[in-house]
Amino acid sequence: MSDLGGKTAIAGIGATEFSKNSGRSELQLAVEAVSAALADAGIEPREVDGLVTFTMDNNIEVEVARGIGAGDLAFFSRPHYGGGGGSGGVLHAALAVAAGVSDVCVVYRAMNERSQYRFGQPMGGALPPTSEYTGLTYHGLHGVTTAAAYIALGMRRYMHETGATELDFANLAVNSRGFAATNPAAFFYGKPITVEDHLASRMIADPFRLLDCCQESDGAVAVVVVSAERAKSLKQKPAIIRAASQSAPAGQMNLTSYYRDNIAPYDEVAFSARQLYAMARMTPADISMANIYDHFAPTILPSLEGLGFCARGEAKDFIKGGTIGIDGRLPLNTNGGQVGEAYIHGMNGIAEAVRQIRGTAVNQVKDVANIIVTSGSAVPTSGLILGAA
Amino acid sequence: MSATGEQQTKHNAPCSNQDFDFFYSGLEGQQLLAQKCGGCGKLRNPPSPMCGDCGSLDWAAVKLSGKGSIYSYMVHYHPPLPGFDTPHPVVLVELEEGIRMLGGLRPEQRDAVAIGKAVDIEYIRRNDVALFQFALTGEAR
Ligand SMILES: [Zn+2]
Repeated sequence: MSDLGGKTAIAGIGATEFSKNSGRSELQLAVEAVSAALADAGIEPREVDGLVTFTMDNNIEVEVARGIGAGDLAFFSRPHYGGGGGSGGVLHAALAVAAGVSDVCVVYRAMNERSQYRFGQPMGGALPPTSEYTGLTYHGLHGVTTAAAYIALGMRRYMHETGATELDFANLAVNSRGFAATNPAAFFYGKPITVEDHLASRMIADPFRLLDCCQESDGAVAVVVVSAERAKSLKQKPAIIRAASQSAPAGQMNLTSYYRDNIAPYDEVAFSARQLYAMARMTPADISMANIYDHFAPTILPSLEGLGFCARGEAKDFIKGGTIGIDGRLPLNTNGGQVGEAYIHGMNGIAEAVRQIRGTAVNQVKDVANIIVTSGSAVPTSGLILGAA
Repeated sequence: MSATGEQQTKHNAPCSNQDFDFFYSGLEGQQLLAQKCGGCGKLRNPPSPMCGDCGSLDWAAVKLSGKGSIYSYMVHYHPPLPGFDTPHPVVLVELEEGIRMLGGLRPEQRDAVAIGKAVDIEYIRRNDVALFQFALTGEAR
């Protein structure tokens, strides 16, 4: 196993506000978040020599660099698969820094996915007939054209196999909105919901209801990756990158893994977990809390199982009785998750993990040692374990 | 039919290429096709130029029965899609031949959809594209 674990750290985080209409360009959001992250770390923009985003972000590295006044860029890359790639961006940055290719590498994601285009709308139009799109169209011609619809098929089978119900989905939706209700940055700030609210919300892609879904969001988040050694002497308490993965197990497809044994969004998360625990030399018992990617909150159930916090089919029981609350065994998505805070392709879950390690989160968990963070499931995914120094 | 060279029926399906043309062309002739590997004989779906089991690029398109049972399903409510009734049911079917195939379910049967139920194929056109959907067998029509 790679000895990457522990060699690098997240030394700075930055973000814009999260909204439905930012009123400025995506590039402006990007440079604001990147600059804020550098200021947070106490690093001059001129020191930046690496920039990483992930596909679906539209901001080219050299324009971000020109805007912030970066130095000479020695490393730039974009892991693929949108929200599956967020933690993968941190992996790329950590690899570059650990290898000595980059000294200060910033990972960013900045989009106007609500005000500039409608990110959650059906995929279609004049798509080029490449392997990127031929398979999606092959399924889309039957009316499966949104992320919700694609993932609904896997989750319906999951419900059939595990006995999970929409009441279990409601429990997750309520937990995340509860954290969001006390997070001023969140869409659901001051707006907790009840199980009844969830069950009364309209159907989007059965079995997903409106309150199972994240919302298209405008906003940006950036994180600064440096060596663990350098991080010691910077402004903030470092979040050490104990492990990072990119994870596309055999049989994985992009949103359409309908042809493998288990069609739930599970295999990719389970593979990521195996990689992460091996690199960090940890087990689930070493993990204090989790920020699990929730494009659709119900997918947290198979993710919890894939991450090894409970056995297959037991997540619906695991989440009951306060286990995922702030004082529970595994506080979960303490920023409100993407369904409660905003849909920033999981980059906001990474930033929340950094705040928790620093002890500065609005919903601060006691005695945080290590945090597992996942990126989008049902697509080729990625993950992180961040820990205190 | 093979991967290269032979003449294929024209089709109107968008975003197709040499890997997928045989499938959509088959639907123009009301045939549900899948690739059978020329090396090891395994059926595969969705289309792919190479067999992941034996590495052969040689394949032939074979006609499938279109009969099977529902492995999973979803019902699309939002947003409305051009050419579809809303809500629109979609089923993932385990075909008799042992491979899975995704397709719409006849919309009037939406409330009866369930995992394990038997289905058969119906050929349709939607938005001027030759397609198919599944229908529950033994249900009121
Ligand atoms: Zn073969």
